[in-house]
Parts: sequence; structure tokens; C-alpha cells
Amino acid sequence: MLTLAATDLSSYLPVMLIITMAITFAVANIVLTKLIGPSRDGEVKGESYESGMNPVGTARKRFNVRFYLIAMVFLVFDVEIIFLYPWATTFTNLEAGSHESLVWLLRILFFLLTTVVAYLYGFRKGVFRFD
Amino acid sequence: MDLSLEIIAPEIALFVGCCVVMITGLSPSQRVRDLTAVLAGLALVAAGGLAANTPLEAAVEAGLPFPAMVGYVKVLVAGVGLILLLLMAGTIGTAREGADGSFNPLRAERGEFYAFYLFSLTGVMLCASASDLIWLFLALELTSLPTYVMVVMSGRSAESRSRAQEAGVKYFFLGALSAATFLYGFALLYGASGSTRLPEIAAAFETHGVGSLATLGMTLTLIGVSFKIAAVPMHFYTADVYEGSSSTMAAFLAFVPKTAGMVSIIVLVSTMGWRGATSGFFGSETGQLPVAVDVVLWGMAALTMTVGNVLAWLQSSVKRMLAYSSIAHSGYMLVGVIAGPGDGAMVHNGIAAALFYLLCYGVMNVGAFAVLACLEREQGVGRRAEIESVDDLRGLRRTHPGLAIVMGICALSLLGLPPLLGFWGKFPLFTSAISAGRIPLVVVLGLNSAIAAFYYLRLVAAVWLEDPEKGVEAATTTPFPTRRVAAGISAAGVVLLAMPGVRAINASERAGAPGAWLAPFDLTPRANPDEAGAVEAHHADTDQDDARVTASR
Repeated sequence: MLTLAATDLSSYLPVMLIITMAITFAVANIVLTKLIGPSRDGEVKGESYESGMNPVGTARKRFNVRFYLIAMVFLVFDVEIIFLYPWATTFTNLEAGSHESLVWLLRILFFLLTTVVAYLYGFRKGVFRFD
Repeated sequence: MDLSLEIIAPEIALFVGCCVVMITGLSPSQRVRDLTAVLAGLALVAAGGLAANTPLEAAVEAGLPFPAMVGYVKVLVAGVGLILLLLMAGTIGTAREGADGSFNPLRAERGEFYAFYLFSLTGVMLCASASDLIWLFLALELTSLPTYVMVVMSGRSAESRSRAQEAGVKYFFLGALSAATFLYGFALLYGASGSTRLPEIAAAFETHGVGSLATLGMTLTLIGVSFKIAAVPMHFYTADVYEGSSSTMAAFLAFVPKTAGMVSIIVLVSTMGWRGATSGFFGSETGQLPVAVDVVLWGMAALTMTVGNVLAWLQSSVKRMLAYSSIAHSGYMLVGVIAGPGDGAMVHNGIAAALFYLLCYGVMNVGAFAVLACLEREQGVGRRAEIESVDDLRGLRRTHPGLAIVMGICALSLLGLPPLLGFWGKFPLFTSAISAGRIPLVVVLGLNSAIAAFYYLRLVAAVWLEDPEKGVEAATTTPFPTRRVAAGISAAGVVLLAMPGVRAINASERAGAPGAWLAPFDLTPRANPDEAGAVEAHHADTDQDDARVTASR
């Protein structure tokens, strides 16, 4: 019969760690906001959040084309992430510290560098300028 | 670095160049922005240098049908790309970057244009090193997608901008249609063979034969890719798009996507091999594609040549004429693909002939378009537009003798007049088709060369024999000296590349040497089943072949 004592609890340690971190992160954020954040309430701030849109009234209205730029900039990052998954699962199979693993690491770093180029381009183009 | 990465080293260099160019084009400093085109040129030089040293063993190991073609096509693309880059000066207006010294990055297009330019060339190079259907699809799209945007960007004034936009939209939608078609073909090829890797597809076709599914897949693929080479079922866009974009961009469109398409067709068709033995002329035995594919390609080639030449004859606009003639030239190259590699010697090898014709066509066509790009005419007050009709070229010998010489040389070479490059390009196409026993096709090719004489000679006559129209202000040159340099280089290339001492023909002969997985279909004792050996042996033989080519002249 499987008893609690017979189970090796130490294998659950990572799970416990994650749960603790999650709770700490949430609580700490709420508490810290209350403590150090400036509390200025207003009518707009009190409304429910709807991705920047006005939550009451018609949804058929114009909004800034800049949102599309944000979406496109995000897409670069999003696509990059997709390629990181297969790389990450393969990378763990390589022998640690071997020449091959170094090559693999450099390859993904080159790939990540291309994202940096995309953001550098976006930055120069003024995508991140909100005025 | 492992071998597969060594093959694509030129592409990586170009890609890094793209990234640099994209950023420098948006630099706040005018001086750095002016470096954009120079940096693009440097990237091309680097890529060309790396391509010239492409390791043959790597291409053999990757299982490519024509291992030496990889390096050849890349050097060709980098070389003609450099001439095109010289020609591109002034295509992108810098006025939109911001008035009086201030810089508006949203209006700046320079970085994007040159980056797209390099991306497109990267795509062509990737087509040449493709050993997988998915890779090939991505490479073809990388070639085409930037060109859609570049067509739109090439319109500078408000009026030509709206024309360029129309051309760009047309080009994009037809391009999407063609991509869908050949992607469907790729899917069927995968379904028929069970693999996306080209050598495995070839092996599957060899063991199980080419079924109806594979034939349908190959047909759809050929029809789809014919968009890239502007061949008949997908040629409709050519004249409109070339006319709507600037002359510089038209020169680009006539060479870059065409190279990608032609290389892809060669690679794809060779999965089915030139197997069915038929006895050709010159006493050599030769192979033939599966009958259905052969019929499709035959029809495409014959129609493309005829439609292109006849419609070119009917045009009064020079750009439309050159657009239709570019269709016809695709047809000529398809003849080489139908003939197949034969026994590997230049005069019997249709693939080498098609690859050499790509080089010839690239050089002489860029020259012809460069002349157009050098000339402009006042239209209305303070507005200058590119010249349009053949009449604008009348008496060019009086007004601009240098450009008249270039136009004369390039038009006569496009026609295929003997001492010039165009003749040496067409010659192996004829001989390879004859040695493959394709006499009706050779007759069509010959007739079309005759039709082509009508309109090319009209072009030459307008430039050299007629006088400028009285009362009409002569066309003036554009203020971009590098365009004239590009025209001069092309004309020099047309004359010099045909000289016996130049290794261009030998290079293309090597490039057309079939690799290991075509060896079983190769019927001559020269073919060596030992992988690297087949190519190495061929290298050693080249000198003998040189003698043969020279003798055949």
C-alpha cells in the first residue's frame, strides 16, 4: 500500500518551488503596488479594461494604425519563439560542453541576433515612438 | 562548419549584408545613408567570392542533381547582380526622405529597397543549393516576395507611382496564384514519392516508376514555376508589369526571378531523369524525360517561344517589346532542359546550354534595359519621364553615340548574331536539341530566331539608320552616371565573354555535369557511379572538352 511516507516527496520539490514563487510574485506585486505606487483614481481608470478600446458603445470605430505596427513587431518575436522550442528540446540531447553543443548554441544566438536586427530596424523606423 | 553550411555560405553573407543595409538605410546621417548601395555591393562581392569557392564535395554530399551548378549559378547571380546594382542608382528617390536636411525615417525607402534587392538574390542562390522541396518553395518565395514590393517602390513620380502600384498588385496576385499552383504540385510529388528530399524522390521514381500522380504533380509544378520564368501558361503579367515598373526594375525582373525559376525547373525535372533511351544525332545515345512531362515541357517551350516573339513583334513600346522577348528567351532555355544532359559534352548537354544561356541573356538583357534607363524625356513642365516607344530611340546615334553602340550590340546579341555572346548562347541549345533528336523543336527554335530578327533589327534600325524626329526635343540622359557604367559593362560583357579565351563556356559546361543520382540514367561510359569521382573525373576531362568546343566553332 502506498503511503505518504513511502512516497519520495523530494521529487515534488520543483513543483512546490514554482507554487511558492507564483504566490510570492502575485502577493508581492499587489502589496508593493499598494505601498509604493501613486494611487490616483479616475473615471477612465475605473472602467473595465478592454485592450485600450472604449468598453461601452460601438466597436466600429477608428483606432490608431500604430496598433498594427505593434502587432507586427510582436509577430517577429512570436515566430522566433516557435523556433526556439525544437532547438531547446534537441539541445539537451547534446553532450554538455562538447564542440557540437557550442556550435548549436552559436547558431541559435545568430538566429536570435536576426530578431535584434528586426527590432533595431523598427526602432530606427520610429515604431516605438509614442508621441 | 559542416558541409551543408558551407554550401550556403554565400547566402549567409548576403543575409548579413541585408541586415546591415536595412539599418544603414535609416541612419540619421545623410552620409551613412549614401553608403547603403555601396554596402549592398560589398555584400554581393563577398557572396560572389564565397560562391566561387563553393566546395564541390559538399554539393555532391547534399545529393544535388548538378553539383557544380550551385557555385556557377551563385557566381552568375552575384556578378549580374553587381551590374544591376550599378543600374539601380536613382531608382529610389531620396527626396522622400525629408525636406531640407531633416530626416523622416518613415518616408525613407532606400534601406528597404536595397535590402529587398539582396533578399531576392539570396532567394535565387538558395534555389540553386536546394535539395528539398520545402527548401525550394521557401527559396522561390524569398526570391519573389521582395520583388512585389520593389516594383511598387520603383515608381518615383506621383504618376509613375500609381502605375507601379498597379503593376505591383497585378504581379503580386499572379505570383500568389503561381505559388499556390506549384505548392500543390510539390504536395502531389511528395504524395507520389513519400519524401520531400529531392534525391529520395528521384530514387523513388527510379524504383517505382513515374505514376500518374507524380506526372500531375510535376505538371502543376512546371505550370506554377513558369510564372517565375515568364513562360506560357503564366506569361500574361510580363508586359504589364515590366511597363509599369521602372526600366531598372524591369531589368531586374527579367533576370533574377527567371534564374530562380530556371534553376528550379532543372532541379525538379531531373528528379524524373532523362531516362528513356532514344538514339540521337551525332551517333550518341541520349535520354528522354517521361513522355507526359516531356510533352508538357515541349508545349511550354514551343508556345513560349512563339507567343513571345510574335507579340514582341507587334509592340511599339520598347519595354513591352523587351518584356515579350524575355518570354521568348525563356522558351529557348526550356529547349535545353528538354534536351537533357546528354553525354555531358557542351555541344550535347542541354542543361549546360540552358545555364550558359542564362548568363548570356542576363548580360545582354541588362545592357538593353540599361540604355532605356539612361534616357528620359521631358513631359509637361519640369516633369521627366522614362522613354517609352521605339520612336524615342530614333537617331540615338546622333544624340548619344555611346548608348547607341550599347543598344546596337545588345539588340544584335539578343537576336543571336554570330560574333556576339547571344550566338554562342544559342548555339549549344541548337546542338544539344539536335543531338537529343528533337528535330521538330529545333525547327521551332530556328523559326523563332527568324521572327526575333524582325523586331530586334527594327530596334537597331531606329537607333542606327533613322534620323531624330524633327521638332521633337531629343531624349536626355538621366543624371546617374553609374547607369551608363552598367550599360558599358554589359556591352563589354556581350563582346568579351564570347571570346575563346574566356572560361564562361567551360564553367557552364562543368555546371551542367550531372551528379551521382543522375548517373544511372547517363548512358555513356563517362558516368562514374562513384559519387565524387563522377564530378572529379569530369573536371579532369574539361580540357579535352574545351578543345572540342573550340573546334566546333
